[in-house]
Amino acid sequence: MSFSTPVKTRRSAHCTPRQSRLDSSPLTPRNYAALSSSYFGGSRRNSPKTSIHKQIPSPLKLDNYLPDTTLVGTGPSSCANTPKRIAKKQIFRASVQGDRFIPSRSSSSTTMTKLEDDNSSSSSNGSTRSSVSSSATNSYEYQSSVAEACGFALNQRILTFKPEAPQSKKPIDLRSQYNRPLKPAVNAQLRRRLPTNAERILDAPGIRDDYYLNLLDWSCNNQVAIGLDRDLYVWNAESGSVSSLLRTTPDTYISGLKWSGDGAYVAVGLSDGDVQIWDVEEGEKVRSMTGHAARVGVMSWDRHVLSSGCRDGSIWNHDVRIAQHKVSEFVNHEAEVCGLQWRSDGSQLASGGNDNLVNIWDARSSTPKFTKTNHKAAVKALAWCPWQLNLLATGGGTFDKQIHFWNGTTGARVNSIDAGSQVTSLQWSTTYKEIVSSHGYPDNNLSIWSYPTLVKNGEIQGHDTRILGSALSPDGSTLATVASDENLKFWKVFEQIGKKVSSAVMGGSLASGGKDIAKVMMIR
Amino acid sequence: MSSAKMSSSSAGPTRSKLSLKGSSKLVAEFFEYSIHSILFQRGIYPPEDFQVVKKYGLNMLVSVDEDVKTYIRRIMSQLNKWVVGSKISKLVVAIVSLDSAEVVERWQFDIEVFSKASGSKKSSSSSADKENAAPKASKQTSDDAHGDKTIDEIQQEIQAIIRQITASVTFLPVLEGRHTFNVLVYADGDTQAPSEWIDSDPKEIQNAEQVKLRSFSTASHKVDTMVAYRLGTAE
Repeated sequence: MSFSTPVKTRRSAHCTPRQSRLDSSPLTPRNYAALSSSYFGGSRRNSPKTSIHKQIPSPLKLDNYLPDTTLVGTGPSSCANTPKRIAKKQIFRASVQGDRFIPSRSSSSTTMTKLEDDNSSSSSNGSTRSSVSSSATNSYEYQSSVAEACGFALNQRILTFKPEAPQSKKPIDLRSQYNRPLKPAVNAQLRRRLPTNAERILDAPGIRDDYYLNLLDWSCNNQVAIGLDRDLYVWNAESGSVSSLLRTTPDTYISGLKWSGDGAYVAVGLSDGDVQIWDVEEGEKVRSMTGHAARVGVMSWDRHVLSSGCRDGSIWNHDVRIAQHKVSEFVNHEAEVCGLQWRSDGSQLASGGNDNLVNIWDARSSTPKFTKTNHKAAVKALAWCPWQLNLLATGGGTFDKQIHFWNGTTGARVNSIDAGSQVTSLQWSTTYKEIVSSHGYPDNNLSIWSYPTLVKNGEIQGHDTRILGSALSPDGSTLATVASDENLKFWKVFEQIGKKVSSAVMGGSLASGGKDIAKVMMIR
Repeated sequence: MSSAKMSSSSAGPTRSKLSLKGSSKLVAEFFEYSIHSILFQRGIYPPEDFQVVKKYGLNMLVSVDEDVKTYIRRIMSQLNKWVVGSKISKLVVAIVSLDSAEVVERWQFDIEVFSKASGSKKSSSSSADKENAAPKASKQTSDDAHGDKTIDEIQQEIQAIIRQITASVTFLPVLEGRHTFNVLVYADGDTQAPSEWIDSDPKEIQNAEQVKLRSFSTASHKVDTMVAYRLGTAE
């Protein structure tokens, strides 16, 4: 035992009779013996049961005897807890004639009385107390001087904060740190940079400010189709040329449009319930599929199947190859269907409606596999995750402002974001593990979220009024947004760092070239 | 001396002085930043866990790791009370090797409370020890020297210490292996401690090399800084 733990011993002083302390002290190395006696004496000097230490005639004298005791300084720690044990020990020591027992040498007579006291009654050691009280002040001075010499003050506690400090999670090499700049340059490169200005702005005059319509889409051939009231324009992102594809009759307007998977055709939903398919290269209508009772605000392609959502809540699946185009009907919504999205493998269809429902349909069944009622407003924004096929993101309207994430296989809600604004569209990035949401009231902004951490990586205040819809470029780098301020803006939100993709989308050289690719579908 | 007083009073008499409470807050805050700095400089936690904040006119590094933050916050919440109550005389940050459990480095902050400001507290808290407390009264004479410092001056003194802590990596031996840290305080004997704080040995380093760093003082406190470290194994 070194004397490095005086406090611990002192604490035990409260539970042991005084004499035991003195008796046990010879077991400890010599300087500790002197120290501890003085130390404990000091702390106890006001208590009525004071001062066994006074039985030591003088510490100096005690030192004189110490050469004997150094022989035996190796005994086990002997802070006895019970009087009985002490008594036994003392008897034992007495029998070996106390070669390790200093007090018995310095003043054997008092020790003997003490011993008797212990044997007769363990608690009566106060009897010797009165006999010694002469050198109290001397010993106190002595104590303080010893304490000072040993580097700790009387009447002081050294406390440590007991809980373990958390372990560092990574190994640390300090050497790499010494020459490190305060802000590592690597971070600056890795940090996502978001554009504050649009890459390009086009006019979209006359666009209908209607949340329930879907008037913007970007094809795999790098063509952007936009419906401006009665007109449908196609803007070629490579050449920058604009062409008017169609103009509807005055009694109707374009309520929805969607590029087919091969980018050769565009499906157009009209406010009178017609669904038309147009060949963009030829600039002519391929076929018209009638039957819906009300306007068709949203459509989604799965290869040759075009699903259309109607204001009356019905979803029709058209096989565009055959004359009897309507192959099945999904009926569960009770209000206008405004969101519709096939999973990329075509096995599931997600639909959202003005009845605040999200339905997930199995392609082979006409009853919804899951019906989700979590949203408290219309659900227009739907997006299936490109890197995790069964993950669906849905966004709610003004009274909801939530983005929910669903497992399409189990139907479980796996995550949620409070977006703070009406969610008008959602697009997953194909470059980053991110999703971008476009918003209406009140913020009218674009927000970019990491998934699955749901950390907001940034937001873009791009439009003055609410963003009606968005579309992602085929290379995944650029987002097109159209807002009720009649602007169509392009944002490089998912530009890949280190790759020169800047020229690929706008006025550049995207590999496809569009015209060379044969049309994949036969449409009658 | 008199000219210094003049300038400080003209600079802004209303904010130039610190009360005991304000001074305690300053001292406790200094401890918190010092602990963070030591943890960063001595590589107890990886550098990525630290973030730059502006403090004392310096770029201070503060851990952003949740566990470490919570741990230090728990220490500081108690430390604040003790500093305000003038209960502690030393704060020690001991850096302990995880492999050998040996103390390899020991940062010690000595806190001296000028008895003028805390006379009533002192006498009530350590009545049993008046004799020991007596010598401290003699330091009252030096109080006037510290009394009129402006916050800016104190800040500059603190800045100098932090700079020294930062610079200490140049002479402190490289810490091999993994290390953790313990926080110790030297408190008055009658201090009430929550159960998280337990009595301990002083965790001294045998045959340590000691380097005294600068100190700073306010109207009511003087804080000395010292680092002790074990010399490398090259003997």
